[in-house]
Amino acid sequence: MNENPKIIAFLCNWCSYTGADLAGTSRMKYASYVRVIRVMCSGRVDPTFVIKSFQEGADGVLICGCHPGDCHYHEGNYKCLRRFHLLQKYIKQMGIQPERLRLEWISASEGREFSELVNEFSESIKALEPSQIKESIETFS
Amino acid sequence: MEEKRIGVYVCWCGTNIAAMVDVEKVASGLKELPDIVVSKDYKYMCSDPGQDMIIQDIKNHNLNRIVVAACSPRMHEITFRKALENAGLNPYMFEMANIREHDSWVHTNRAEATRKARDLIAGAVSKVKWHESLEKRSVPVNPATLIIGGGIAGISAALELANAGKQVYLIERKALLGGTVSALDLTSPFLNSARQMIDHKIKEVMDHRLIKVYLNSEVEQIFGYVGNFETTIRYNKRETRLNFGNVIVATGLKPFDASRVTNYGYGRLPNVITALEFEQVLKDGVILTRDGREPKNVAIIHCVGSRNEDYNPYCSRTCCMVALKFVNQLKSALPKATIIDIYSDMRSFGKGCEELYSDTSKKNVMFLTFDHKADLPQIRQASYDDPCNLIIEFKEKFSGEPIEVPADMVILMVGMEAHENAKQVAHGVGISMCGNRFFIERHPKLDPVATTTDGVYVVGTCQSPKDIPDSVSQARAAAARILATILAGSVSIEVTTAEVNEKICCGCQTCIKVCPYSAISYSQEKKVSAVNEIICKGCGTCGSTCPTGAIKSKHFTDIQILSQIEGLMSLQEVY
Repeated sequence: MNENPKIIAFLCNWCSYTGADLAGTSRMKYASYVRVIRVMCSGRVDPTFVIKSFQEGADGVLICGCHPGDCHYHEGNYKCLRRFHLLQKYIKQMGIQPERLRLEWISASEGREFSELVNEFSESIKALEPSQIKESIETFS
Repeated sequence: MEEKRIGVYVCWCGTNIAAMVDVEKVASGLKELPDIVVSKDYKYMCSDPGQDMIIQDIKNHNLNRIVVAACSPRMHEITFRKALENAGLNPYMFEMANIREHDSWVHTNRAEATRKARDLIAGAVSKVKWHESLEKRSVPVNPATLIIGGGIAGISAALELANAGKQVYLIERKALLGGTVSALDLTSPFLNSARQMIDHKIKEVMDHRLIKVYLNSEVEQIFGYVGNFETTIRYNKRETRLNFGNVIVATGLKPFDASRVTNYGYGRLPNVITALEFEQVLKDGVILTRDGREPKNVAIIHCVGSRNEDYNPYCSRTCCMVALKFVNQLKSALPKATIIDIYSDMRSFGKGCEELYSDTSKKNVMFLTFDHKADLPQIRQASYDDPCNLIIEFKEKFSGEPIEVPADMVILMVGMEAHENAKQVAHGVGISMCGNRFFIERHPKLDPVATTTDGVYVVGTCQSPKDIPDSVSQARAAAARILATILAGSVSIEVTTAEVNEKICCGCQTCIKVCPYSAISYSQEKKVSAVNEIICKGCGTCGSTCPTGAIKSKHFTDIQILSQIEGLMSLQEVY
C-alpha cells in the first residue's frame, strides 16, 4: 500500500488539459496526487519524459490525449499510442510494473471522465507498493 | 549562461484559490528556492494593479523570468505575456502554474491542495529557467473568406463581408440557400413572414458580385493556417481549389428525431406531426388532419427531446416561442377549435417574448403543465366512440392528477440537435465539439464566436441552439472580427514551432514520416531535415520521435519538460 503516491500526468493542450479545466470549473472533486504537465499534443510525450518521471520517483504516470480521430493535429495521439505500447514493455524490463503507466483519451467536454480517471488511477497506484526505482538508481550509480 | 532572476506571483483569485490553498505560506516558502528573487501573493494577479506589480518588479529587480500561479493558462496566459512585453521582457520568458482549475477548485483538503500548489509552482520555476526568447512572426492575410453553410447565419456573414468589399466563398450542401429559416412560415415573437425576410437576403447574396455561391457542394479538409487557408471543394462532380484567409462555420442544426420518444407515437400515429411539418402545413395555407378534416382540438407538446437525460439534457431555447406562434396562428385559422398547449416551463426571455406569452394567455387557450423529468405524456389512438382522433394522457403537474385530453392533431415541439456531419466538419476545419456535439467557442463569455483554431469562427445553431437574431448577431460579429484582421493586413502566427539542429541531425528522416502537416523536408545537399516554420503548427511529435534529439519543439523543449518533472518531484516532505 502507498498512502501518498506521486503521479505525473501529461495532458494535451486541446482536449485533455481543457477537460481537466472543465472538471475544475465544474468543481468536481478528485484525489490530489496528480501533478499535471501541459504539452501541446500527446504526440509530444517523449519516452524520456515517462522514464524521467519514474526516475525522479513518480509512482504512476498518466498520459491523456484527444480521442482517436479528434486530435487537434490529426494524428499525434496515434503516435502516442504506438509509443505507449512499446513503453509498457520497456518499463517492465526495467522492473517497473506496466500498470504504473496509463494512456487514456479525454475530450475537452469530459471533465467528469477526467475526475473519475484520476480517482481510479490514484486508487490503483495506491494499491501498489511505493516505486523503488529512484532508490535503486541511487544505490547502483 | 545568464543569471536567472525569477519572479513568482501567487494569486488568491479572491477566495477561489485562497480558500483552499495557503497562498501566503506558498509564496513565502518559495523564497528559499534558488534563482527566485521575488515571491509574492496578491488578491487578483490579472487585475491592473496585479499586472503593474509584475511590471514594476521586472524593472526594479531586473527580473528575466516570471511565473504566475493562478488560473488555467488557457484563461490568462496571454494577459500576463502582454504584461511582460509591457515591461520590456520577451513574452515567452513566462510560465503559468494552474493552481485553480487543477487544484483549489477540485480538492477538499487544504494541506494537500497547498502542497500540490507548491509542487506545481516548483515545476513551473524549473521549466521557466530554460525558457528562451521567441520572436513573434506575422504573415499577410488573404482577404477572402470561406463560409460553410448557407442558412441565415452564413448569409448574414457573407453579406457583411461582401458589402465591405471582400471576397466571399459560400458553400451550401443543399440545392438552395436559406437553411432552416426557409422552412418556416412566420417568425416569433413578432409574427413576421420568414419567407419575405429570407428570400430577399438570398437574392442579395446570389446577385452580389463578391459572393461566389457553391450549391450542392461540400468541403472536406482545410489546409493552412490563419490568413492563408486552402481547400478543394466538390460540386457538380467538379473540383475547385480555393484560397482564403478566414473560415466561418455556419453549418446549422438538425431537428430532433421525434420517433425516438416512443410515448408520442410519431411515425405510427399519422396526426402526430413535428413543428417543422406544421410550418409546412401553415405555408400551404389550410390546416387539415391527415384524413382531410378540420381539427376540432389541436394540442401542442413542448420539450420534445429536450431537457431530458434520455435524449438531450439542454433546452433548445426557441421552441416555446414557436409554440406560442402556432397557438396564435391556429387561433386565427380555426377560431372554433380548442387549442391545448402542454408545456413543462414556459421560457419566454428576450425582446417581445414575454409580451407574446402574456397576449397569448388571454386568448382562451388551455395551458396545461407536465413534469418533463417525471413521466412524459402518452398519446394513443382514440376509440370509435370517442369524439376525437387521439387522446393524450398525462399527470397534470400542479394537481398531480392524471388527466386525458382529446386531440385531432398533435404538434411536437422538437428541439435542435447538432448536425449529423458535425464531427466531419470539426475534423475538416480543426475545431472541437462539446458533449452535445455543438462546436466549442474559444471562451463562452469573452470570445463566443472564435475557436481555438485561429482564423476559424463558429456562428449560428452549430455552436448551440439559438434563435434568428442571435444567429445573425454572431454571424455579423464573426464578420467584424475577420474584417479587423483583413484591415490589419497581417496576423501573428505560431512561434512555438519545431527547429532542426543541423549539427546533430543524422538525416534519418523519421521526423518527415510523423509530421501531420508535411512541414519537414529533407535537404539532399546538407543531408539533414529542415522545418518549414510557416507550415509547422508546433505539435511536437517530431521532437519526441527524433532519435538524436536534433529537433527542438520550441517552448516545450526536452530540457524544459525534463526540468519541469524534476521541479514537480523536488519537494520531498510528505503531507
